[in-house]
Amino acid sequence: MTKKISHEELQKIVTSVPMLSASASQLLQLTAKEDHDLIDVINLVRNDANLTARVLKVVNSAAFSLVNKVTSIDRAISYLGERIIVSIAIGDCAGKLFQKELSGYEAAGGDLWKHDLRTAIASREVVFQSGVDLNPALAFTAGLLHDIGKALISDYLQGSVIDAVEIVSAEEELNYLDAEEILVGFDHTQAGYELAKAWQLPEELAEVIRHHHNPANAKEEYRLLVYAVHLGDNIAMMGGFGTGSDSMRYKLDNNYKNYINITPNSLATVMLNVDIEFEKLESSLNNSGDET
Amino acid sequence: MGQIILGVGDYGASNSPGDVVKTFALGSCVSVIFLDPKSRTVGMAHIALPDSSINKAKAAEKPGYFADTAIPALLTKMSKFGCDKRGKGMIVKLCGGANVMDTNDTFQIGKRNALAIKKILWSYGMGAIAEDLGKNFSRTVSISVAAGQITLSSPGKPNWQL
Ligand SMILES: [Fe+2]
Ligand SMILES: [Fe+2]
Repeated sequence: MTKKISHEELQKIVTSVPMLSASASQLLQLTAKEDHDLIDVINLVRNDANLTARVLKVVNSAAFSLVNKVTSIDRAISYLGERIIVSIAIGDCAGKLFQKELSGYEAAGGDLWKHDLRTAIASREVVFQSGVDLNPALAFTAGLLHDIGKALISDYLQGSVIDAVEIVSAEEELNYLDAEEILVGFDHTQAGYELAKAWQLPEELAEVIRHHHNPANAKEEYRLLVYAVHLGDNIAMMGGFGTGSDSMRYKLDNNYKNYINITPNSLATVMLNVDIEFEKLESSLNNSGDET
Repeated sequence: MGQIILGVGDYGASNSPGDVVKTFALGSCVSVIFLDPKSRTVGMAHIALPDSSINKAKAAEKPGYFADTAIPALLTKMSKFGCDKRGKGMIVKLCGGANVMDTNDTFQIGKRNALAIKKILWSYGMGAIAEDLGKNFSRTVSISVAAGQITLSSPGKPNWQL
């Protein structure tokens, strides 16, 4: 039996989550700005010795199989690109949250991070394949953060999987968000939005976290971004990378067509590229973690 | 007892009675299963996309990824276990191919995968005798080689047989 989370409890859960590191927080602010340069990212990373060391480790990891060792942070960042820098920074300071076992969804430790990484890659690929006017690095970052609310409510959903699946199977109109709300009083987008506020995330990222299952409810100025992540999220689930019991149990908003033009062939290309890119990214981020 | 775990785009076969052939979390991917009663061989391919024409290089490197290249590759592999090259006498079962809720045509990759697979099977004169396709949940499949028994699972549901 689950118990409803009160508003006060939700606030308590949110405040118990560690804050983002200063560099991660500034990186997210930077990514959201339309007219920023890679040089800004480089300067930011340079001021953080730990992050600099990690970035160099990732670029020199086996996944990229570079012939010559990269020792300059400028070169490392230009080679890896902003999205990988953001992944490293988030993974370092909020890794515990992302790697958490989501027992309330019967998902193993690491499944949320993999789903988020797949969503991030897919959202960015959707931008490329459709040619929409959107910053691809921002789509990536938004994808990475979109489901963070699941880590907050998962413990409260423990033991509810059979009930949740029953709720969504019984009525055609209901999706997993409804099940979450019925069972614990909040769905993962509401919980995630509270964390977004506590972390003082840029508004566009908070909007993605709040509306990625219902992009039509997002503020008009951010709606295109929210639709891109909405598609990225669905593509991640279709590819077999959900977070357990809720996988594929959400609605696809067909009005994405008013914002993003994607053909069956370009969708197939997105899915293929996500597989290729994920393999590379995941192994480079994982195998560079331990100090040597 | 060995476990043969197949990832996306992998295919494999076994005739060792102790083996289990397994694939995790099929979303829109479809698992094609061939059971050969004569040689007691089990084969499976975890197919991601219907058509290899979008990326021939990938198809050459990982034929199991696409419906049109996976089925010939699986048949060739199984022929090494003494199965018929064109799949004669084999039992075919299909599962996976889920779609998210309210999907439109473009996003019904699960459905398109299943259709493409059936067309190719048909060209070999083969057809599935059992299938568990579509709907909106992910499936994990495991097959015991000894009994040829196929067990499906999905979080929140009791396991079922195919
Ligand atoms: Fe979500
Ligand atoms: Fe998601």
